[in-house]
Amino acid sequence: MNYHIREPKVPTMSQISLTDIHKQFPGRGKKGGWKALDGVSLEIAAGEIVGLLGPSGCGKSTLLNIVAGLDTTFEGKFSIQGKSLTEQIGAGFRIAYVFQEARLMPWRTLRQNIEFVLEAADFARTEWPGRIDKVLSLVELSKFADFYPLQLSGGMQQRASIARAFAIEPDILLMDEPFSALDELTARRLRESLLHIWSAFRSTILFVSHNAFESTYLGDRVYIMSPGPGGRIKEQINLTHIPRPRSYEDSALFEQSKRVVESLRRHMGELVE
Amino acid sequence: MAITTFFSSVAASGRELTLSDIINAEQTRNTAISLLSVLALVGIWQVGAWSLPSSVLPAPTTVVQALAANLAKPDIWIDIGITLSRIAAAFLISMCVALVLGFSMALSKTAGVFFHVWIVCGITVPALVTILTLYMIIGLNDTAAVIGAAAPVIPVLAINIREGVKGIDPRLLGMAQAFRAKRRQQFASVMVPQIAPMLLASTRFGIGLIWKMVLFVELLGRGSGVGYRIEFFYQMFNMTEVLAYALSFVFVMLFIEVAILGTIERRIFRWKKQ
Repeated sequence: MNYHIREPKVPTMSQISLTDIHKQFPGRGKKGGWKALDGVSLEIAAGEIVGLLGPSGCGKSTLLNIVAGLDTTFEGKFSIQGKSLTEQIGAGFRIAYVFQEARLMPWRTLRQNIEFVLEAADFARTEWPGRIDKVLSLVELSKFADFYPLQLSGGMQQRASIARAFAIEPDILLMDEPFSALDELTARRLRESLLHIWSAFRSTILFVSHNAFESTYLGDRVYIMSPGPGGRIKEQINLTHIPRPRSYEDSALFEQSKRVVESLRRHMGELVE
Repeated sequence: MAITTFFSSVAASGRELTLSDIINAEQTRNTAISLLSVLALVGIWQVGAWSLPSSVLPAPTTVVQALAANLAKPDIWIDIGITLSRIAAAFLISMCVALVLGFSMALSKTAGVFFHVWIVCGITVPALVTILTLYMIIGLNDTAAVIGAAAPVIPVLAINIREGVKGIDPRLLGMAQAFRAKRRQQFASVMVPQIAPMLLASTRFGIGLIWKMVLFVELLGRGSGVGYRIEFFYQMFNMTEVLAYALSFVFVMLFIEVAILGTIERRIFRWKKQ
């Protein structure tokens, strides 16, 4: 596998910039509603892999939806390279998403599933076969291009959904607990697979996770969030010094993952696995 | 029984059992059971014919002979054609109205509550009352007949369609939105394939109901079509012709069900087979 060790980042203008984001979900009737985010600020540079870690209900997914542009009813400033998301998308900026479940359309083959997002992203039809073959081979699913999702295992389906995300060559890839529904061994292979395909595209990745070791393995930085209501970012852990490609056996990784767990424990006030 | 003989024959041939063997065995077995079921039905009919006067229940052979004689003449074909066109028109009307009602009830809460009352009324009012009322309002003509056949089916179809639309997986729509698929693409590629099974089921179910309704409206107020002929021969106490006409149409409907809808189903659900 041809991983490249990324050049150390020169701090430039950040790509994703969130400043003082507040999000309130309206309540029903007399109930007070739910404050999901209470003043979240973060900066992510292009090509960075950043994890959001925190307990359920801390607003991680809400934050992802805001960056995805699926949630536009929030307070605060969100910009991408100084411009609004709508402007950027109009100018050809692409965002891809990997969900907790593969979310492939069962009536379409893997190839057709990827064609769906290529069509959505307005790629010329002549480019489709080349892009599909490339991403499928990067996740080692070339042989299964014409299989239907239900013919494949859960892990393979999720790999296909990662391939689909990279097929549109996204500027930003958002992932919402992408490996949490898989057993640990499958998840490990998929994380390697993800970093492998990422090294070919270098998209910015913002992901949400429950798993301290996973976020340490994947991330350049990890943000620890406090429990909801009113999720905030409590701490930032820098992992850029651990070289890539990373090994699961790396003791530095293990050390950092312990730090992450400790930080989680501190900010949650309860025990985390 | 068929499946055990099959297994032993495979074992004897020393070949490994593959999935397609099992599927084929299952199909052979099902075909055998279906054949047996048809034979049993005809048998029950035959027993009834033996124990009742032939003017009340003619034997299956007599009816089939009468049907064969009818098919040689043009009259029955004209009646079948007329009834089929009424079925087509009534089905089209009921499906269109039910689609509009079903979709709006599934997608809007207000429409859901508003039309719910209509649907409940539509289901409770007997079809006979609806048909007679329409004949009185519109007149004894084909328009009234077609609308009369369509109306009683609409509420049932609308409920089916509402449930189907409500069953659309919001996660796949979320995926389509996250990848910025346009509305047209979301509809054609994500929604339509999900409601296709429901549409097909509604079509089957709808046509089955409509054809009974069309016979009914023809019997009540038309001078042509299979329903009218059945009524006519019934008045003449000619049960052989009543059953022969009914049987002719059973074959027509079987053809539509098996040959046309069955083929469509296999084409749409290829992905489920694999």
